[in-house]
Formats: sequence, structure tokens, C-alpha cells
Amino acid sequence: MNGPLSFNPSVLSHTASWPRWWLWAVVGMMVSLSWTVPFIPWWAGLGSGLCAVLTLTILAFYARRQHEERPLEGEEVLGGHDAKQVLDQVDALMSPSKDIEQIPQVDEVLQNMAADNQRRRLEDLMRRWVDVAQRYSEAALVLRKDIYSVIKQTEQAANTIASSFEAVINKATIQARQAMELLEGTQGATSDGVPQSLKDFIQVSDERLNKMADEVVRVADLSVNMVRELDGVQSRTQAIDGFLLDVEKLADQTSLLALNADIEAARVGEHGRGFSVVASEVRRLSKRSHEFSDRIRVHLKEVRTGLSKTYGNMRMLSAADMEHALQIKEDVVSLTRSLEDKNREVAETVSCINEISKEIAQDVRNVVVSLQFHDITSQKLSGMLEPMDDLRRSLYHLMQETINLDKSLLKNLPNNERWLSRMRDEPAPGSAAKPMKNAVQEARTIHQATDNGPAVELF
Amino acid sequence: MATILTVDDTASMRQMISFTLHSVGHEVIQASDGQEALKVIEGKKVDLVIADINMPNMDGITLLKSLRALADYKFTPILMLTTESQEAKRQQGKVAGATGWIVKPFNPEQLLTVVKKVLG
Repeated sequence: MNGPLSFNPSVLSHTASWPRWWLWAVVGMMVSLSWTVPFIPWWAGLGSGLCAVLTLTILAFYARRQHEERPLEGEEVLGGHDAKQVLDQVDALMSPSKDIEQIPQVDEVLQNMAADNQRRRLEDLMRRWVDVAQRYSEAALVLRKDIYSVIKQTEQAANTIASSFEAVINKATIQARQAMELLEGTQGATSDGVPQSLKDFIQVSDERLNKMADEVVRVADLSVNMVRELDGVQSRTQAIDGFLLDVEKLADQTSLLALNADIEAARVGEHGRGFSVVASEVRRLSKRSHEFSDRIRVHLKEVRTGLSKTYGNMRMLSAADMEHALQIKEDVVSLTRSLEDKNREVAETVSCINEISKEIAQDVRNVVVSLQFHDITSQKLSGMLEPMDDLRRSLYHLMQETINLDKSLLKNLPNNERWLSRMRDEPAPGSAAKPMKNAVQEARTIHQATDNGPAVELF
Repeated sequence: MATILTVDDTASMRQMISFTLHSVGHEVIQASDGQEALKVIEGKKVDLVIADINMPNMDGITLLKSLRALADYKFTPILMLTTESQEAKRQQGKVAGATGWIVKPFNPEQLLTVVKKVLG
């Protein structure tokens, strides 16, 4: 924006005069030399002309170099942006030591130009100043509104996040407690012999199933013993068979003895009649003895057949019982191990849930620490508002003073007085999140909060 | 478990302090500034006060002085939980009768340790 206030170098420049002078000299030289054409050879005239042109060119070259090395007075470019600088330059131009002062017309022109440039420069600076102030005040109002909005939004977000994490930790705590209760339930003690937990259930089931398996094994042992007993009974029936043979032999001998007695009785005649009756009776007894022996043998055979069947069944039963008992015992052991494994898995899972709950609690504690930065940043942002408002108010007063100096400045501004009144407007009460007595100091304090002194101190 | 009054103008801070203290079974009463805190404790006795410094209406130091002026709260532990960490401010709190000074952001475990210590 230095255009309107900068000097036009062409006004004071002497540089435009020397090329014209040089051209006139050449033309004059050529005209003067043209008189010599009828008297000297053409080549001598041409050579003299060229020499003259060359000489003038060299002279002009040196004259230009000298001019460039030492600029003429008043030829400086007043390009500074500062009014003071402009004034200094004008003063320098107005200095009595300048050669140009010796020319009264130039002095007057220079004074007028400097005054005009200064006025234009000041007007331009004031317009820029008003423009900057207007833009700053507009931006400050928008920024204040945005900062306030950010504070509110982050506060709402922080509240929501804090509530959500509180709910998360509460649920995690309940979950862990329920899992622990489940674990305690599966690991708890018995009361009145009734299992209260999975562990006790396993233990009681194991004990009872083992007892049952032992009973089955004992029954199987008894069956084996009974089979052995049956073996003894069978062998004793065979002994009875032998006894029966002896009885039959005795009966045969008794029958033979009765026959001999009958023969002897017949030989003695009438005297042996009574003896013959005794012999017949003995023979009949022998016959009945045979009949009894046969009947005993039949019964004995039936007994033996029955015993044999019982023996077979008992053997099968005892073998099956033993096998079954062993199978049951094996199944019980397997089932118990499976239940114990499941129980252990439940305990491990519950323990894992408990650990996860602790980790969640730790994470939430970290979140609690992090969420507090909302409070700190809100205070920092609030701390920015007051110096901003101070600056805006100061700008308003300066602007008023500036515009009082020159009312025409307002005419060139868009929305002229409306924005000026907005600059003056105080922010709505309570719009700042925190009251700050000295906002700059507060901001500094907050900034240093983590670096200054211990985090916790008990007096 | 104790009854604790927490005073902070930031709702999320009150929420986090309450949440931390609830987790160990303390009962927590909340107030958003010094004036509200004085109203809240009318007719009741709390075992501990945790207060912020920078608050609207009545700041933490004024609240601290007001509480110490009450017979019931002459010896009640009062912890200042604040972003202020300057020694001058600490001394101001100490002179006004603060029991301790905790700089935000607080660590929940650290807060619980301090609370346990001051509650005896």
C-alpha cells in the first residue's frame, strides 16, 4: 500500500535530459560536417563523422555511469511503510545541505509533494488500521462464540463419556461379583450332607459311586465264593452217589442172604417155615432198600443238575458283576475327572473374568485421569477469552478516537457504525466457563500446573 | 464408610470424583460452587470436603475460610483439588486451613489413598 505515498522518480529525474542532448549534438555535428563534403574526399568526411560519433558515445557512456553512481538529489524512492520514515525522508529532502534547496521552485514543489504524500500515507494507514480493527473485532466475536461453544460441547461430551465409563465399570464389577459368587457356589461347603457346590457334588458323587462300586465288587466276590461252595456241594453229591452204591451192594447181599436163608428153611421143612417168613421179609426189605436207593439217586441227579445250572449261572453272574463293577468304577473315575476338569475350567474362567474386570477398572481409572484434561483445557480456553475481550475493548476506544479525528473514515467502511457498536458490546454474563481475575496469569498457572510442585501435598 | 462433599463447577469432574469415591463405598454429596456447598451442608455433617479453587459465585479459598469459621467444620479435613500448582496459592490454601492440596488431573488410586489417610 505504499503506491499512493511513494515519490514518482520521473518528476525529479534528470536522466531524461542527457539522451536528448546527445542526439542534438550528433545531429549538429552531422550538419556541420555536411559543409565539408564538397571540399574533402567522401571517405575522409565519413571517417571524421564516425570518429565524432564514437567520441560522443564514449562521453555519454561515462556521463551515464557517473550519474548512476551518484543519484541526483530528491531522486530517492520513499517506499517505507512507516509514517515516521516518510517524514524522515521528507526532512532529509528538505535539509538545507541539499543542493536542490538552492532552487526555490523545486523546494516549494518538494514541500507540497511531501505534505501531500504524508497526508495520503496517513489516510491509508488509518484506513488500514480501521480495516484491521474491524476484521479483528469480527473475528474476536466469532472466536469467543466458538470457544464458548467448544467448552460447552466438550463438557457435555466429557459428562457423557464419564457416565458411560461409570456404567461400564459398574457393570464389570457386577459381572465379576456374579462370577465370583458362581465360583464360590461351585467351590462352597456342604451343609447337612447335601452338596452345595459343584465341587462338593463331585466329591459326594465320587464317594457314593465308589462305595457302590465297592459293593458290587463285594457282591461279585460273594458270588465267586458261592460258586466255590457249589463246587463243594457238587463233589459231596458225587460222594452220596458212592454211598448209594454201597447201600445197593448191602441190599444185594442182604437179598442173597435172605435167599440162602429161604433155601435153608426149605431144607429143614416144617421147622424152617418161620425162618422162611423172616427170610422173605428180609428180601422185601432189601428190595425196598433198592427202591429207596433208586429214588435217592433220581433226586440226587436232579439236585446235581440243578446245582450244575446254578453253578453255571453263578459263575456267569460273578464274572458279569465283577466286570460291571470295574466298568462302573472306571466310568466313575472318568466322570469325576471330567467334572473336576470342568470345575477347574469354570474357576479359571471366573478368575479370568475377575482379572479382566480389574483391567477394565484400571483402564477406566486412566480414562478418569484423561477426562480431567477437559477441565484444564476449558480453563485455558476461558483464560483466553478475557485478554481477547480486553483487546477488543481497547480497540474500540482507539477506533472511536481515530474516527473522531476523521469522520470520513467511516464512510468507506462496510456496515460502518454497526460493527463499531458490536465491538463495544460486552459478552453475555456467565458466557465464560470460569471467572478469571487475571486471565494471563491464570493461563500461565494452568500451563505450569503439571510442572510446578508435588501433585499431592498434605499440610 | 464416610460422607464426602465434593465441590467443583465442572460437572464431569464432580462425576469422576463421585465415581472414584463410590467405588470404595463412600457416600458423596455434590455442589457446583462454594455458595451451593454451604447450602448443601446446612444441618448435616460431612466427614471430608474436596473442593476446587476456581469456581464462580464463591471460590474454593473463600469456601475454605467460610467452613473453618463454622464450629462443625473447624477440624474437618478439607482437600483442595485444583489445577493451581503455584507455591503462593498452596500457601494461601494452607494458611486458610486446607488439609491438603491435590493438583489436577488426579489419579483415582492416589485420591483414594489421600482420602483414606486424612479420614484416619
